[in-house]
Amino acid sequence: MASSLSSKAKTFKSPTKTPTKMYRKSYLSPSSTSLTPPQTPETLTPLRRSSRHVSRKINLGNDPIDLPGKESVEEINLIRKPRKRTNDIVVAEKSKKKKIDPEVSFSPVSPIRSETKKTKKKKRVYYNKVEFDETEFEIGDDVYVKRTEDANPDEEEEEDPEIEDCQICFKSHTNTIMIECDDCLGGFHLNCLKPPLKEVPEGDWICQFCEVKKSGQTLVVVPKPPEGKKLARTMKEKLLSSDLWAARIEKLWKEVDDGVYWIRARWYMIPEETVLGRQRHNLKRELYLTNDFADIEMECVLRHCFVKCPKEFSKASNDGDDVFLCEYEYDVHWGSFKRVAELADGDEDSDQEWNGRKEEEIDYSDEEIEFDDEESVRGVSKSKRGGANSRKGRFFGLEKVGMKRIPEHVRCHKQSELEKAKATLLLATRPKSLPCRSKEMEEITAFIKGSISDDQCLGRCMYIHGVPGTGKTISVLSVMKNLKAEVEAGSVSPYCFVEINGLKLASPENIYSVIYEGLSGHRVGWKKALQSLNERFAEGKKIGKENEKPCILLIDELDVLVTRNQSVLYNILDWPTKPNSKLVVLGIANTMDLPEKLLPRISSRMGIQRLCFGPYNHRQLQEIISTRLEGINAFEKTAIEFASRKVAAISGDARRALEICRRAAEVADYRLKKSNISAKSQLVIMADVEVAIQEMFQAPHIQVMKSVSKLSRIFLTAMVHELYKTGMAETSFDRVATTVSSICLTNGEAFPGWDILLKIGCDLGECRIVLCEPGEKHRLQKLQLNFPSDDVAFALKDNKDLPWLANYL
Amino acid sequence: MGKETPAEKSLNLIRGRLCDPSYVFRPLSASSDSNYSKLKFIVSTSITEGCNNSMLLLGPRGSGKAAVLDLGVGDLLEQFPDSVSVIRLNGLLHSDDNCAFKEIAKQLCMEHHLLFSKMASFDDNSQFIIAMLRACGLAHKTIIFVLDEFDMFAQGKQRLLYSLLDAMQSVTSQAVVVGISSRLDADQLLEKRVRSRFSHRKFLFLPPSREELDGLFVHLLSLPADSGFPSGYVSRFNDKIKNLTSDTRFKDILKTLFNANSTVNSFLKFIFCAVSLMNLESGLLSLENFKAALSSMQRQPKLEAVRDCSVLELYLLVCMRRLEVKEQSSYNFISVMKEYKAIHDSFHTSDYYAQNVCLRAFEHLRERQVICYAENRGQSQTGEYRLQKLLISASELHQGMRSHACCPAILLKLLDH
Repeated sequence: MASSLSSKAKTFKSPTKTPTKMYRKSYLSPSSTSLTPPQTPETLTPLRRSSRHVSRKINLGNDPIDLPGKESVEEINLIRKPRKRTNDIVVAEKSKKKKIDPEVSFSPVSPIRSETKKTKKKKRVYYNKVEFDETEFEIGDDVYVKRTEDANPDEEEEEDPEIEDCQICFKSHTNTIMIECDDCLGGFHLNCLKPPLKEVPEGDWICQFCEVKKSGQTLVVVPKPPEGKKLARTMKEKLLSSDLWAARIEKLWKEVDDGVYWIRARWYMIPEETVLGRQRHNLKRELYLTNDFADIEMECVLRHCFVKCPKEFSKASNDGDDVFLCEYEYDVHWGSFKRVAELADGDEDSDQEWNGRKEEEIDYSDEEIEFDDEESVRGVSKSKRGGANSRKGRFFGLEKVGMKRIPEHVRCHKQSELEKAKATLLLATRPKSLPCRSKEMEEITAFIKGSISDDQCLGRCMYIHGVPGTGKTISVLSVMKNLKAEVEAGSVSPYCFVEINGLKLASPENIYSVIYEGLSGHRVGWKKALQSLNERFAEGKKIGKENEKPCILLIDELDVLVTRNQSVLYNILDWPTKPNSKLVVLGIANTMDLPEKLLPRISSRMGIQRLCFGPYNHRQLQEIISTRLEGINAFEKTAIEFASRKVAAISGDARRALEICRRAAEVADYRLKKSNISAKSQLVIMADVEVAIQEMFQAPHIQVMKSVSKLSRIFLTAMVHELYKTGMAETSFDRVATTVSSICLTNGEAFPGWDILLKIGCDLGECRIVLCEPGEKHRLQKLQLNFPSDDVAFALKDNKDLPWLANYL
Repeated sequence: MGKETPAEKSLNLIRGRLCDPSYVFRPLSASSDSNYSKLKFIVSTSITEGCNNSMLLLGPRGSGKAAVLDLGVGDLLEQFPDSVSVIRLNGLLHSDDNCAFKEIAKQLCMEHHLLFSKMASFDDNSQFIIAMLRACGLAHKTIIFVLDEFDMFAQGKQRLLYSLLDAMQSVTSQAVVVGISSRLDADQLLEKRVRSRFSHRKFLFLPPSREELDGLFVHLLSLPADSGFPSGYVSRFNDKIKNLTSDTRFKDILKTLFNANSTVNSFLKFIFCAVSLMNLESGLLSLENFKAALSSMQRQPKLEAVRDCSVLELYLLVCMRRLEVKEQSSYNFISVMKEYKAIHDSFHTSDYYAQNVCLRAFEHLRERQVICYAENRGQSQTGEYRLQKLLISASELHQGMRSHACCPAILLKLLDH
């Protein structure tokens, strides 16, 4: 397994707080007999399942959507300190056991029951952030969760050590550096090692004991802890041996009745708990995010841990013991894996993430989440009713898509430089920065800012044009992203943003529905949508909750929306001119003169403000490619220059330039892999770029003409001969056939017969080497060369089988 | 059915081989320069590296584009059993965008055991496909879209291609679009914004060289030594094949075949014909089988049509030909009858028929497409007044009449003047 993670150095500062020691003790100590946690079954995973089922039941019961009036959901943004309660309650809601011990029945041991009964009266207050036991918990935080039915309470620690003991000296110093073994995850003081290390080494590090074990010896002398000192286990160890759980906080609330704080937890699983068990490629600190939720009381939460995506994880090598890696989501119903969506997207903001109202309307988004969960529970049954592809708000059954086993080639593969280069050259990978378009981006930013920050917000529109692959859409999107950051920072007033691609609409009229959906979140037919939009923009009526905010509309491929009477474009471009519309339209298309092609009343509304994205020149292309390839040594500098010059001369399309480079990298990769020589220079050279360019730009007809059958070549020669003789591009089959027969006669070739010749002509027509009418016209069929006669002459001149063809060309 | 004779058994074996593209194309794809290995390399790196790609397979019909692709995809399906799904579309069936989206959604549903609804709208389907691409990308699953008759998709607004290629511009999707077309200019048909999104990997499939075809012949027809045939039979059969390949007459047959069409597909058809004609008693292939196969491959329908004409029909054809020679480029039944009458008056032939009989013969000629209407206009006119055209050339007519069983000598003279 090639883990690219560097060894962890445990540089702990002395803990600033040991927050909950006293507090926890009071209820964790096994001596308090009346509050003994219920007995636990031995199995590990079913427990969690059971808790899931139970918790789901609650959800369905008191879903705020189902009972909108009964439940008042307050919105509180303040951080509140919970009142310290004097008699703490043991929470055992995770237990599978339904029977309640009569001794403890006075406390809400089984909140499941009580909750379902109390549904009607219940009040909840939702929070964003809660300070509990002097630690702040926020939505989205990862925490350790206590398993109240801990299997062996003897081992329950008096305290949870934040610093683990050294595996050799069994002491924990706060001021010496520890190093972590990548195999057994044990911690070692640098100076306890033999020989002692001065500093943390780069890359993987394996402790001496594991090395011995690996080398095959069974007799390993592991230092025994000194007598009397119990080996303290850190939370990490407990988690990885499933004595603790980890969860992500999805929601925080307080029951108003009893003042108990609850969280909705989304469980993490360790690889051992999945159906497959631990796989070879799993890292030691790997967790899976599950789609398994449970409501648990705040009491069970121990403290924070940090679950990170691979990229952050490799950076977080010095962050301590509670860092875990999570790359995959695990579906507990289907037992399948999937990459975690947000992580895969990287910093690319997806649609769902984009809600600028996150802060203000926290209760609203809560509703949505709860709705989600409910849907996913019912999803299975619902997908049986409707098709997976017919959507009523969302698609069902997609959660079934997932692999049963994470393929090893994904995890254990170490990328070579060439493969890295290929990955960054992909059109799909969004570059970190957009070189060469700063001027245009400034202009767009100024335009949008100017139009939305006006108090009036006079609607305006802008037309952006340029040939494909000049970065029009991506520039606008990155401007919007920057603006979003500014909205969050508070320097720009909030707005809503709707993005539409003309070519992805079923019909131009559908754009109304899409805009309406973007503004209000509901789907209606286009006629109704048009009516409401007219009311919204022309008369200033509100749609739903969306109000007062200016709206930015980005329409990509604007030219597709041109209908016969051009009413769609007219409507859309007319709204911005209305006084209360607060609408800004950005139109993107390829043609420069689109406004001029339209009716004058439309062009007068659209053509005022234009921005041209010119084709890139070779220097810009070179810069684009080399910024992408920064830090990767895979290309010769001249090769990049060659590619960019070539593309700049032809189209100036950045996509094309990137594709050529990627193709060249592929060619080089293929060459190196096939030749099986461990070449020292794994560089893409000029020749590879040349091959890629040839493949991309050269029409393949010459090669085909060279290799077609003998009679086809004679046929083509006859056509060229006929063209030279008559000067007419178009001939008939009658004449060509006569020429062929005379050529064959003079050069001693057998003439095959008209019908066979006709078939040959039609085959050539199918490849579009010649243009021809259907073969049923036979003698009267009209034929024409599809390529210049010089190409044919060039292709057929030096023919080894038929040297005499040159006489006729 | 009783026990098969060795001859029947070998016949079945060879036919089975001919119909199995992987058996035919495996030896042609062995070298590292072959399209097969390049194609497989690209698709497999797209799977392992999780990237998107789009490519075009170009080449004349019958050169094995789809077969080689199937071979490569089949190998990859074995290599990565869970993580590849193939969606197949054909331009002749799904050139309509709406219908293509529906078909993709349907195949995706089938692949992942989801329920498909016929009622879903275009919007729903296209969003479903994008959601599906994302879900599959997150699960490290690659979707391979095979678009056969790619040029047919490049008509109209090209919504399908745009949507597919645009969806592939996101990191989470993991898909390969493979277009197959016999039009060499297929990529020029793409609209410029679609072309800009296309990756432009092109594979050109050329007809194999003569040596490769000879190797293929032996590969297809030689029987394996250990397959339950009587021991003498296998060696006799293989010896016969070896003799054939060294025979000059056989070489001439192959040469005639390849002169006209040198693609693998036509070669396979040729062998199939020959094998079907095999004499089941001796159980061996002979030169005559191949000769017959060649003549059945290269038939001359127009010539045969002339050979089967009645004498009256020949008269009519000759009349039309004479009119053409007289530079009377447009003629109808009436003018042909005038010419017919003139011939009869000057030569006093025995074959003179009434006008309605001639009209009947004329109709027969048109039904066999030896002649046709000159233009589609004037459908209101009755047949006899509409302008006609001869669909057969003078030399073909001459040749056909000479091989005709009972062609009057005067007709040949009339044709030559």
